[in-house]
Amino acid sequence: MTTRTQGAPGTGAPLSVSAILFRIVGLAVIDAVALVFGIGLWYGGLGLAAVVLAAMTVVINVAFLSDRLMPVRWISPGLLLLTIMVVYPLLYTVYIALTNYGQGHILSKDQVIARFEDETYSGKSYSWVAYRSDGGEFLIWLSDPEGGEFLGDVQARTIAPVERADPRFGAIDPADNLPVAIDGFQKVPRLQTFQYLTRLAAERLQGEIDGAPAEIRIENLNTASLGQQKYTYDPARDVLVDNETGTEYVSREGFFTAPDGRTLTPGFAAFIGPANFVRVLTDPGIQGPFVGVFIWTFSFAALTVLLAFAVGLGLALVLNDKQLPAKGLFRTLMIVPYTIPGFIGILTWVGLLNPLYGPVNGILESALGIEPRWFQDGTLAKVALLLINTWLGFPYMLLVSLGALQSIPSEIYEAANIDGASPFQRFRTITFPLLLVALAPLLIGAFAFNFNNFTVIDLATEGGPPVPGSQTPAGQTDILISYAYRLAFAGGRGQDYALAAAISIVIFLIVAAITLVNFRLSRRVEQMV
Amino acid sequence: MHSTLRLGGALVALVLLLMACAGPGATTAPSATASAAPSAAASEEPTAAPSEPGASPTPTPPPAAEAGTLTLWVDETRAPVLTAIAEQFTADTNVPVAVYQVGFGDIRDRLQLYGPSGEGPDIVIGAHDWLGQLATNGLVEPLDLSAVSDKVDPVALGAFTYDTGEGGQVYGLPYAAEAVALYYNTEMVPTPPATWEELIELATDLQADAGLGLEQAYVLQEKDPYHSYPLLTANGGYIFGKNDDGTYKPDDVGLDSEGGLAYGRMLDQMVKDGLLRAGVNYDTMIQLFTTKKSAMFVTGPWALPQIRESGVPFAVAPIPAGAETARPFVGVQGFMVSAFAPNKELAVSFLTDYVATDTTMQSLFDADPRPSTWVPVAEAIDEADVQAFIQSASNGDPLPAIPEMSAVWTDWTDALDLIFTQAQEPDPALQDAADSIRALIAGS
Amino acid sequence: MVQLTRSLTGTRRRPMGMRNQRRIGLAVKLVVMFLGLIFALLPVAYVISASLNPANTLVGLGLIPRDITFDNFARLFTSPLQPWPRWILNSFIVAGTTAIIVTSLTALAAYAFSRLRFRFRRLGMIALVIVQLFPNMLAFVALFLLLDALKDVVPAIGLNSLGGLILIYSGGALGFNTWLMKGYFDTLPVDLDESAMVDGATHVQAFWYIILPLVRPILAVIGILTFISAYADFLIARVMLSSTENYTLAVGMTLFVREYQLEWGTFAAAALVGAAPVLLVFLIFQRQLVGGLAQGGVKG
Repeated sequence: MTTRTQGAPGTGAPLSVSAILFRIVGLAVIDAVALVFGIGLWYGGLGLAAVVLAAMTVVINVAFLSDRLMPVRWISPGLLLLTIMVVYPLLYTVYIALTNYGQGHILSKDQVIARFEDETYSGKSYSWVAYRSDGGEFLIWLSDPEGGEFLGDVQARTIAPVERADPRFGAIDPADNLPVAIDGFQKVPRLQTFQYLTRLAAERLQGEIDGAPAEIRIENLNTASLGQQKYTYDPARDVLVDNETGTEYVSREGFFTAPDGRTLTPGFAAFIGPANFVRVLTDPGIQGPFVGVFIWTFSFAALTVLLAFAVGLGLALVLNDKQLPAKGLFRTLMIVPYTIPGFIGILTWVGLLNPLYGPVNGILESALGIEPRWFQDGTLAKVALLLINTWLGFPYMLLVSLGALQSIPSEIYEAANIDGASPFQRFRTITFPLLLVALAPLLIGAFAFNFNNFTVIDLATEGGPPVPGSQTPAGQTDILISYAYRLAFAGGRGQDYALAAAISIVIFLIVAAITLVNFRLSRRVEQMV
Repeated sequence: MHSTLRLGGALVALVLLLMACAGPGATTAPSATASAAPSAAASEEPTAAPSEPGASPTPTPPPAAEAGTLTLWVDETRAPVLTAIAEQFTADTNVPVAVYQVGFGDIRDRLQLYGPSGEGPDIVIGAHDWLGQLATNGLVEPLDLSAVSDKVDPVALGAFTYDTGEGGQVYGLPYAAEAVALYYNTEMVPTPPATWEELIELATDLQADAGLGLEQAYVLQEKDPYHSYPLLTANGGYIFGKNDDGTYKPDDVGLDSEGGLAYGRMLDQMVKDGLLRAGVNYDTMIQLFTTKKSAMFVTGPWALPQIRESGVPFAVAPIPAGAETARPFVGVQGFMVSAFAPNKELAVSFLTDYVATDTTMQSLFDADPRPSTWVPVAEAIDEADVQAFIQSASNGDPLPAIPEMSAVWTDWTDALDLIFTQAQEPDPALQDAADSIRALIAGS
Repeated sequence: MVQLTRSLTGTRRRPMGMRNQRRIGLAVKLVVMFLGLIFALLPVAYVISASLNPANTLVGLGLIPRDITFDNFARLFTSPLQPWPRWILNSFIVAGTTAIIVTSLTALAAYAFSRLRFRFRRLGMIALVIVQLFPNMLAFVALFLLLDALKDVVPAIGLNSLGGLILIYSGGALGFNTWLMKGYFDTLPVDLDESAMVDGATHVQAFWYIILPLVRPILAVIGILTFISAYADFLIARVMLSSTENYTLAVGMTLFVREYQLEWGTFAAAALVGAAPVLLVFLIFQRQLVGGLAQGGVKG
């Protein structure tokens, strides 16, 4: 908790007014943001996230008021955002992995219960017509097929049998044999009824029909129905009772299950523990092709970074030459690929490399007489992928290298010039090591990104070409993530988010391990400099 | 101490900027009082619709509480016509309608998130084979179409019927059905082949005729199970066996059945004879035909506008038969109501009492000539090519909507890939694929 | 200026052999440059060709279209349901704000990680990278629920808002960019700000007056990188934005990828129209890429 530099604030002169003001303003801004988020999360039903946020805000407040935690001040705004937008989704993925969230289990239990409790049974249907007063009050005229007629009062939520002699009924419309108006309530024409549907359907009209208590609800423009609630949920026993048959459905593993094993659709997302992880580690469909896929994934990520960095750095060095004419133009042209959306870029390359009709093969055939079967041969498909991915990645490396090259003090070069070092020697002994200090973590990051670069595989090859004689759907260019997601989303039952989450976590552990090893190595690089 | 002030000022400015920039998102979010489709055309004149003559007794829209905005998610193709229909509906009924454009495939995936959140649409456009996902997950609402069922094509109605375990229910109002058929160049092919044997013979002759300059007489898109399915059924193969009641048996995979293997050998022989080539995707297939470098190919009615525009003389015929009649996949498109629709009753009534009418169905067809499933509209169609597609669809099998179908595509595609690139013999390629599909279905 | 004259005199002092060597070096560099340009621009040429071709395809085209048509561009701007200017504006708001936030926050954090020493510093840096390694293909579910929860309290950062999208992009871009920035800070000699601090400057002053002017190139790099990645994203945006007028350009463009009727020509035209403003931004900011220590100034 000590700062390397001398004279850290608090140890020197007393704080000035503006410094205090800055601190208060900064803190106020952060607290305000946190408060807004916190309230939103709490009332949005994400209580855990709100608690995590509150704890972080407390830490930040302490940091702003205590000099011992001074460095946290500099980090806190970013940390706050990172926690909410990156760390929280990560934790949520872990949570999903422990549930059965996926095909058939998408809704929450509450949502499923609400859906079932909304169902009715033994519904006798009525046709209905609405009457509306100027004040926006409604009467509902209900007619059943046997000629029975009832009048519902929406305000009082009641229904009563119609007495045709009722003095409130005015003239009768011959077209439908209904009153034109009832006591100041005008009959609503059919098309005009649409606008009141949502409002009217929310009401339940109660009364006695045929000597039994009844509840009427409006189903749509044409029908209202007499129905009883089909299911009732009993929270104390966690069962859903079918009011019609008396069957009790027990909540089990994301389904309401009857004693005879029948389940109700839809199911709901439920906590099921480590079952998904067990499947990842034991399923032969996942384990079988693992080694082969892993080796290609690693090579793909490493070679991509190597190639993209080589191209990007090479071009950056050229562009950094003070004597090069029209540098600005060249720089801009080099960035053009980066401004084309990635998926268009990938599909364009697929078109360029089409074995039959692509311009690349056209050129190759006329120049060299060869027509490589890109995408149809495993090795060539891998070459094509690396080519595409290098194209996608080099502008990033170019930009980053250009920036990093600026940080190398020109004095060092001048000193080298005086020593008579050749350009290559200068690059090898000065530029490259200094660049690596700044860029090594970025290269590691790029490696990890490409390790999980689902998009390029999916759009360029979809993992193909397939392996002849294989019993699993792993293709020759599948990387771990593309194969895993194919299993999770094109598996036997469609989307299995929970399995995908479990696989994500396993892959994450692998990449994290590789990265930590890399950091050990890069620290050695750092110390060499 | 000047600096701290400036830094503080910069931070405050940043936050203010943030708020300012975030503003447009908030103010333009659709509110309940939005009065018409928030598309460019409609939002310019939000009050135009209700003021049409004789449309409405009240000139101003009713309070939002009584008439919530009916929200539709539709894809780009159908957005213009539905916006027009929505405007008419607003004029007729005073109900504000918002038509949002969503990518066709995105509609299904987004509904899964938006529906339960309560921020979702009332009505979406979609394909019947989404039901395996949408109905099983409780995301769409059953519809009562009994009042209009005699006007809806029974195959289409059947496709939109899905059984989640308590008997089949209709989950969508169909409006168009699509199935592939054979497009042929009438200059090169005077009469369309009736069987695959004839087609192969014809293709061999055409391709041998150097004067025509054909790259490929008959084109089948590579690695595409969908377009090759009629060939599978013509050979007597199948994907899933059926129960007596017509539902699919996911544990009976027929890719490596006798007919399935015959299909593989037929494709393999065509590749060996130079009649089919790897590397031809959908775009190339269309382009070869429109540039007269191919004489025949198989695809659906969606390509009609493009082929008509190219000026190539063409006609459409049913897919040639093999040992059996070729049955293409039928994809039915229709309207579905979200189970979490904020205006569920309104949405249902909009479909059954406003869209399910001759006028609306006709305008849907006029805007985008897909074979209508609305019988009065379909019967009035006089374009021969559209008629051919309707005929083809009447022979077809609805694309299986069961979730297990998702396990089929990858392995089937792989098997076709291996056959097209001659990387494996057809029999083991299809057997491996079928085994892999069985393992996937059993493992879940 | 001091720097300029110094390098001029430096050149003058060089012997003749070295000058020839320089010329050959420049020639080699030009060759490398042109090879690089071909590689970089071949697909771009193809996209341009597709946008001018009536065939609406990305396959089987020549690099130079035979019959040129501007229909694809016309269709972009005449289709009544697509508010293109609005989408481009939205994209700019989102990408621009994200770039400003990310650049500011990473600069602050990088200063702490580079110049201050505190417990868990190294651990914090590594954690920053490790967190970013997570395959976040499912993050959209969590982020959706997060924005949905926020919507009722703060609509400006809730679902279907540009503000929410900005926060997601900003959070996601912090990790690696803090590393990049910190690496750059590390290459600046510590005695620069230490000597200032000995003279009584605070950390804030050292940061504002000494470090920031020197790190302009990396600020520009991070700003441009963040801008472009936020501008191009559609995977997250199409989940979080639900109404047509709130779409960003990248989301709006995906509407042209329909089932079967792939309008590649229009799509290619849209990609080019979308790329133009980004290039403009780059042109404006690329001067900032050059500068900092290499041009001296402070050291003289």
